[in-house]
Amino acid sequence: MPEMSINQVLTAATTDVLETMFFTPVMGDTAAASASGDLLAARLDFSGGLTGTLAVQVTMPAAREIAANFIGGETDQPHADAVGDVIAELANMVCGSVLSHLDGEAHFDLTHPRLIDPLSAASPQSASRTLEIEGGEVTLFLYLDKKP
Amino acid sequence: MAFRVLIVDDSPTMRAFVRRVLEMSGFDVSTCHQAGNGAEAMAVLAGHAVDVVLTDINMPEVNGEELVGRIEQDERLRSIPVVVVSTDATANRMRRMMELGAKGYVIKPFSPEVLRQELERVLGVSHA
Repeated sequence: MPEMSINQVLTAATTDVLETMFFTPVMGDTAAASASGDLLAARLDFSGGLTGTLAVQVTMPAAREIAANFIGGETDQPHADAVGDVIAELANMVCGSVLSHLDGEAHFDLTHPRLIDPLSAASPQSASRTLEIEGGEVTLFLYLDKKP
Repeated sequence: MAFRVLIVDDSPTMRAFVRRVLEMSGFDVSTCHQAGNGAEAMAVLAGHAVDVVLTDINMPEVNGEELVGRIEQDERLRSIPVVVVSTDATANRMRRMMELGAKGYVIKPFSPEVLRQELERVLGVSHA
């Protein structure tokens, strides 16, 4: 089987995480576009077999949708703190899944995911992908110190 | 048969999610304790009977590795199976946790069925 490109890994890993753990279907993916409107973003760093940073930037309606799906129950409008926690957890899971796709044998240390200024999520050297979900978009930014 | 479960994760949101997935999976839970790290988990285990522990690895103060080691070294607790729930899918990490004494390992993302099957496996029960 041919190796997946980093863009394919970002799409596959994020789709798997969103659909399996967040009960959020992915409707399509595109190259990352400039985001606008209210956004929420989380980032974490990793080191070990590969070193770099992964950031997740989500449009606010999509973030609320993901959080409501994750938390469940009667909560259509989860509290802002809970939405932040869920997006941080999304970044954590996507990072773990991306790294296991890129190198399933290596050991990695991941920092705790933290909420960041959404406009600082992207960097010029990052691979990026945007996934369309109900209510908006989820954009991934992956920066690797060295490509695998 | 209903089981007493201890969920250990520093994220309250993640603990609530694991509890929700347990309910969705059909796994029969009678009591669901929660702890934010390994130290809190040991305090729960000192005061409550628990049938199975579900733990994250990366947590402040006492992490999942230390928790598994402490349970394994305690004669009163050693028989309680520990299932690790983690994003870390690397073979080295899984081997390390099993060597320390974990009996099961569930990689995020996981479906309710996967979690239930792993719990039933470590507890030696079949789903009715």
